Amino acid sequence: MDKQLDLLQGTLDMLILKAVSLGPLHGYGILLRIQQISRDRLEIQQGSLYPALYRLERQGWIASAWGESENKRKAKYYRLTATGRRRFQTEAKNWNRMADVIEGILRTRPEEV
Amino acid sequence: MTLWGRFRYWLRAITRRSRVESEMDAELRFHMETRAEDLARGGVARDEALRRARIEFGGVELAKEECRDARGGNFFDTSFRDLRYGARTMLRAPGFTATAVMALALGIGANAAIFSVVSAVLLRPLAYNEPDRLVTLLHDGSNPVAVANYTDWRDQSRSFEAMGAAEYWTPNLTGIDNPEHLWGLKVTQNLFPMLGVEPLLGRWFVPGEDRAGAEHEVILGYSLWQRRFAGDRNVLGKTVALDGEAYTIVGVMPSDFKFAPFWATRAELWVPDAFGDRIFKRTGNSLRVFARLNPGVTIAQARAEMETITARLEQQYPGTNREVEVTPLRENVVGKIEAPLLVLLCAVGFVLLIACANVAHMLLARAAAREKEIAVRTALGAGRIRLVRQFLTENLLLSAVGGCAGLLLAIWGIHALVALTPASIPRVGTVTVDARVLLFLFGITALTSVVFGLAPAMRASAVNLGDTLKQSGRGSSDGIRRNRLRGFLVASEVALALILLVGAGLMIRSFVALESVDPGFNPHNVLSMVVSVAGSQEADPNRRPIFYQQLLERVRAIPGVQAAGGINHLPLFGDLWGWPFTIEGRPALRPGESAGGVYRIITPGYFDAMRLPVVQGRDISEADNATAPGVVIINQRAADRYWPGENPLGQRISFDIGTANPPTWLTVIGVVKNAKQGDWAARPMPEVYLATFQNSEYLSSTLSSYAYITLVVRAAGDPGAMTDAVKNVVWSFDHNLPISQITTMDAQVAYANAVPRFEMVLLGVFAFVALALAAVGIYGVISYSVSRRTHEIGIRISLGASRTQVLLLVVKQGMALAFAGSAAGLVGALWLSRLMGGLLYDVPPTDPTTFAAVAILLMIVALAASYIPARRAMRVDPMVALRHE
Repeated sequence: MDKQLDLLQGTLDMLILKAVSLGPLHGYGILLRIQQISRDRLEIQQGSLYPALYRLERQGWIASAWGESENKRKAKYYRLTATGRRRFQTEAKNWNRMADVIEGILRTRPEEV
Repeated sequence: MTLWGRFRYWLRAITRRSRVESEMDAELRFHMETRAEDLARGGVARDEALRRARIEFGGVELAKEECRDARGGNFFDTSFRDLRYGARTMLRAPGFTATAVMALALGIGANAAIFSVVSAVLLRPLAYNEPDRLVTLLHDGSNPVAVANYTDWRDQSRSFEAMGAAEYWTPNLTGIDNPEHLWGLKVTQNLFPMLGVEPLLGRWFVPGEDRAGAEHEVILGYSLWQRRFAGDRNVLGKTVALDGEAYTIVGVMPSDFKFAPFWATRAELWVPDAFGDRIFKRTGNSLRVFARLNPGVTIAQARAEMETITARLEQQYPGTNREVEVTPLRENVVGKIEAPLLVLLCAVGFVLLIACANVAHMLLARAAAREKEIAVRTALGAGRIRLVRQFLTENLLLSAVGGCAGLLLAIWGIHALVALTPASIPRVGTVTVDARVLLFLFGITALTSVVFGLAPAMRASAVNLGDTLKQSGRGSSDGIRRNRLRGFLVASEVALALILLVGAGLMIRSFVALESVDPGFNPHNVLSMVVSVAGSQEADPNRRPIFYQQLLERVRAIPGVQAAGGINHLPLFGDLWGWPFTIEGRPALRPGESAGGVYRIITPGYFDAMRLPVVQGRDISEADNATAPGVVIINQRAADRYWPGENPLGQRISFDIGTANPPTWLTVIGVVKNAKQGDWAARPMPEVYLATFQNSEYLSSTLSSYAYITLVVRAAGDPGAMTDAVKNVVWSFDHNLPISQITTMDAQVAYANAVPRFEMVLLGVFAFVALALAAVGIYGVISYSVSRRTHEIGIRISLGASRTQVLLLVVKQGMALAFAGSAAGLVGALWLSRLMGGLLYDVPPTDPTTFAAVAILLMIVALAASYIPARRAMRVDPMVALRHE
């Protein structure tokens, strides 16, 4: 179970970084944004979203500030920092390379081995 | 984020805890409410929407906990909360807490106390500069050296930076009120600079001050300076009369200066040593030789070099350079006491382990009672690591309180311990609670909390959620694994207690054997004191014999005195001064092979006073005076060794062949029983007793090492009560005669056996504590098990089990643990008791009697400890027990 969580965590971090790279969002907004851009194909554990946010903030990749939400409430907004942006780019590049490699492996037919 | 930024973030996380906490609450609340609004917009009722939002979110508390962890700074926060929670839990169970704290305090305090002795005596380096390079050069590692040998070694060796020597000197301080017999050392000029200790006042001796005839400077010890000169800083340059000669005070040593710590511990003044005509002598060994190794020279290299030198000298002067040993000074100081102290440290460590085991199974029992609480916490999202951590924090708190109580106990215990510690243990006066002891205390406290707490914490945190929450009351059967762990703990306690009991038992047997050794004389009701005549008018060779004679007569006339005599030095006072002699009619032997014996000079009445029986021939009498032919009495060992199968009576020996012409011949007139000489456990050596009234040195030498007599007085009752009467008799002759070393023979015997007694008493106490703790452990486990099995026992009884069967069922459970523990303990004791071999007298470390007795004792205690709860089980009323749950 631990291993799965690790994998999920790494992916969730990247998804969050992607979501806030498009503009500041509060936690619930991030959740909605990810569901929207994934066209509801990804199910995100709401409880695990906030620990991830706190961790990313602690690492300095996102920053937070209190602001007013669309429903006129106080909400905590997260935005991508410069460090976070660089980090996101590397992560995305790595992810793509990894995805290519894995795809290549999976497409390999028996006679090619 | 920069390092600084991270730090600020972290700092904020821990300092603005409440704000961060409320922000987190607000953020999560916002999330859920917004979600609920979204759901409500989709047509769900408002209450239902909020409920569904919560379910979707999952465990809020768990998320918060994870957020706190992710945020950082949570460590202290959590620890603080755990501590507070732990303190509350402890206060809620005062009985448990008090018992656990007491057990831990006992274990930790005892360890700290013993460790403080080990630290001061063994670990602290000697108080000299670079003490590791200091060595002693002595015959057989402990016997003194002749002057000419010392100078040859000094001049021929290359391994040593410096080599110096010292010998005893016991002058009378005269010319002022209260003359006093002092202990001092004559030292070579280079000895103190070699030690590298600065004097408190003044200076060392300078080269040349140890030249013959020039040696009239003295350095005072701190205690002497305080006692006789009231700590006067202007004392330098003043003169004092030692044995009637003027000495100039040139220095005062600091209060912590002790030299040499293994031998002349009573020395409190030092004068330069001019060897005079002894410089060419290879007999009359009197010097202790000390040296400092050159930097980089190992002790093995120094030994190799000394072997070459002594082998060469031995060829040149046969019999003079045998068995010369180079020993580190430290080994001479603490070598003998190392093993007894380490055994005690081990023993006290075992006591702590037993205490830990006791606390551990108490915690286990309590964890069972806390199962519900743990299950609720788990359900609320506490992870296993988190629970273990909380338990460990609680345990740390418990052991910290135990440690503090232990520290108080140790401070008190050290006083008691030092009072109990024999004065013969070096450096025992320096025992304190210092930084090292505190560090040790801190270390064992922390370690203790892990030792007693880890297993219960792991076990307790592994709670099966569903079962525990579903069960309304206690389970009908207890977890087998938990029982097994508890059984293992108690069996270990029994095993450790058995090992300690074996150790204590062996020490007791050995001590009884020591005490029952026949010392040859009867030490009860004997008073002794040293009367020194050096520097007084009684020292006059014409007056001295008359004075001694009259003194003894008047002492014998004191009511309550049964007998009185005089001797040069009493047995068991550490003096084994020997002298070689020649037997008439036998070829002259080489110096090392000549006959010899411990050399005692006695007056008539000495054997009577000591109740040392003359087994053959006669005692020395008043008629054996300076004008009568010389006589000598020997002990049985000398008779067996030098005249095996012959009658020694009438044989003649001489101590001055080669030095006197004609030599003085002494006729053997009697044989006395062997008496203890120095070390209580040692076999007696040949011994010779000469007559004081025939000995020109003791009758006419003005040197303080000859101008004294030790009075030996046998009283009808308490010898201590005679002290004043005897002193008054001495002072009725001359009020300026110094009297010193007033003691009883019983006290001297006790002193000789002080270390074994100390070892026995402490091991006995520790073993008793261990036994008590183990008994409490067995009792605790069995009575806990009975209370958990009430239901089962009720069923058994209602199905027809007899009371006796129930009793046996429970007792068997306790005895099984005791048997398993004892078996393991016996194996451990067999293995560990070998370490005690050197401490035992006349008892093998595997003494079957001790082992059997200890095992039986433990079985009886175990039986009693399980019988009490078993009786309770026997009285279980099946109706009550079955309705009970």
